[in-house]
Amino acid sequence: MTHLTTRLVILLAALLMAVTGAYDYHHLVQERDRAITQAGEDVRVFAETLAVAIRKNVRRSGTTTELQGLLDGILARPGLMLVAVFDPGGRVVVSTAVPDVRPPAVDAAIDTALRRREPASFTLPTGSPQLRVIRPFRWLDDRTAAVEVRQSLADIEQDFTRSRKDVIVSRLVVLLLFVVSIVAVTRWSIARPVRALIRGARAIAEGDLSQRIDVTRSDEVGELAREFSRMAASLSTARQALLAESEARLGLEREVHQAQRLAAVGMLAAEVAHEIGTPLNVISGRAEILDRILAADLPGRRHLDVILRQTERITAIIRALLDYTRPRRPARRPEAVVPLLARVADVLAGRDRAKGVRLRLDLPWDLPFVLGDAEQLQQLFLNLLTNAFDASPAGAEVRVSAGPTPVLPEEGRVGIVRGKADEPSLPIHIVDTGPGMDAERLAHVFEPFFSTKKLGRGTGLGLPIVEEIVRAHGGSVEMLSIPGHGTEVIVRLPLALGEEAPSAARGVAAQEVRGR
Amino acid sequence: MPEPTRILVVDDDADMRALLVDELRQEGYEVTEASDGAEAVLACRGQTFDVILMDKNMPGPSGLDLIPGFRRASPASRILMMTAFGDVSSYVEAAERGASDYLFKPFRMDEMKLAIRRALGLESAAPG
Repeated sequence: MTHLTTRLVILLAALLMAVTGAYDYHHLVQERDRAITQAGEDVRVFAETLAVAIRKNVRRSGTTTELQGLLDGILARPGLMLVAVFDPGGRVVVSTAVPDVRPPAVDAAIDTALRRREPASFTLPTGSPQLRVIRPFRWLDDRTAAVEVRQSLADIEQDFTRSRKDVIVSRLVVLLLFVVSIVAVTRWSIARPVRALIRGARAIAEGDLSQRIDVTRSDEVGELAREFSRMAASLSTARQALLAESEARLGLEREVHQAQRLAAVGMLAAEVAHEIGTPLNVISGRAEILDRILAADLPGRRHLDVILRQTERITAIIRALLDYTRPRRPARRPEAVVPLLARVADVLAGRDRAKGVRLRLDLPWDLPFVLGDAEQLQQLFLNLLTNAFDASPAGAEVRVSAGPTPVLPEEGRVGIVRGKADEPSLPIHIVDTGPGMDAERLAHVFEPFFSTKKLGRGTGLGLPIVEEIVRAHGGSVEMLSIPGHGTEVIVRLPLALGEEAPSAARGVAAQEVRGR
Repeated sequence: MPEPTRILVVDDDADMRALLVDELRQEGYEVTEASDGAEAVLACRGQTFDVILMDKNMPGPSGLDLIPGFRRASPASRILMMTAFGDVSSYVEAAERGASDYLFKPFRMDEMKLAIRRALGLESAAPG
């Protein structure tokens, strides 16, 4: 861009120089021609004056002897090369000339002048340019004689050549200065800041958003630099916001993941405790009986002591494991559901599970608050939405809504409920358009380690954890399904009554609750 | 001679059942055993039990599901549930349905006997 401008400017300058140069040259040529005409005039006047002087001298003296004296010193006139006087017979009477000039002789021009008594003048272009003037005059016997004068034009030509050279050289010098200054100015005012901009842009492209362009000018370049700096600043801000956002999301995801893992271990421990509780009880019970009925000094007693101690130990281990993994009691506070769902949706969007499934939250922002533990509710919604996403075909929509009645139609619908919701409660519906489940499958969904998902995909603990959470919250979870059509999960969470939820929304929610 | 105290033990695990029956008979109770819900219901016809000691997890109807039936058939019976410890939610549910106490497996025999006596009103309900 700057190169283009520079080239254009230089071209225009050269054109300008050429035009003014041509004009000046033309002017010089005219000047030369005028000088030559002037010189011709001068020489003619000189020749005439000379002719008059010679005639008077010849008339007065009657001889030509004095003529040589007349011509002496005449060559001091600048540029005069030759003066010759021809008598009517064409013979040279007297002559004087500068060295190296062809001696005078009668030729056609002089002959014509003598015969017709007409003055003549020529410009001789050969060699060094000169002017030849022939002036006839009356001789003694009234016959015609002539004087020839040759004047050099070399001075004029030299002047002209020198002036021409001056014009060209001065134009070239001006052009050169112009070009140099244009290039320097462009470089200073455009190329330098533009180069700084390019450096900055390159740095930004490489990820260094701390780049600012240090240009303190008020023209367009300065404005561009300021815009650039502003852009870099807002990019930097945006990137920081993105970074913070993704960090928050990662943190939430880690938290959720940790909770999920702990819950999974807890479920597993509960399952193990369940399975070994009875056999352990049989062993410890029998040992207790033996302990009671065997004599204290029996030789085999110590074996029994070991059995008793070890069963106690197993019991303690399982109890400790359960204490460690038992879901903590929820810290229930009034919570808005929509922001929780939005955060969970964020986590889901960050996973590859989304696979083009859209999440539609059909919830008003002024939904009444529920009484719950934000972290556990997030876990609850994450598990339910993950299931819905996994069940949905690509490009389908998972809908979340609130309302007293199920979204799925009653016909062909099977269902299962866990927990019992304290009234009044807020029902949240999560509906997918997946393959659905029949009654037999549905009966098992809340059992730990029962999963309809592909091996390695589900933990089989998602819904058991959901059940745990809703029970701990005094809520319920209902699962409705129509095989081949989809599944609806209704979570009912107790409302936070008397809290800062908008009263109008609370009224609506209360109606919904009564409507159930 | 007063009426002997009658106890029904319901557990699908034969060894566990045998342990409980042995221990309770040792204490002088009259014990009937059942290995599942159906047998338990059958046993309830014809005689009334003072205490029903029942496992929560059994094939077929679970202990929780059986509670309302027993409550109707013999309102005077005290129901004691047994389950693995850590199963707090079913504890709450059992209490709601009318069980009078809960034992977490594995429990000590003394614990079990104390719970029976408490259910019979022979001991203070306050935990010892």
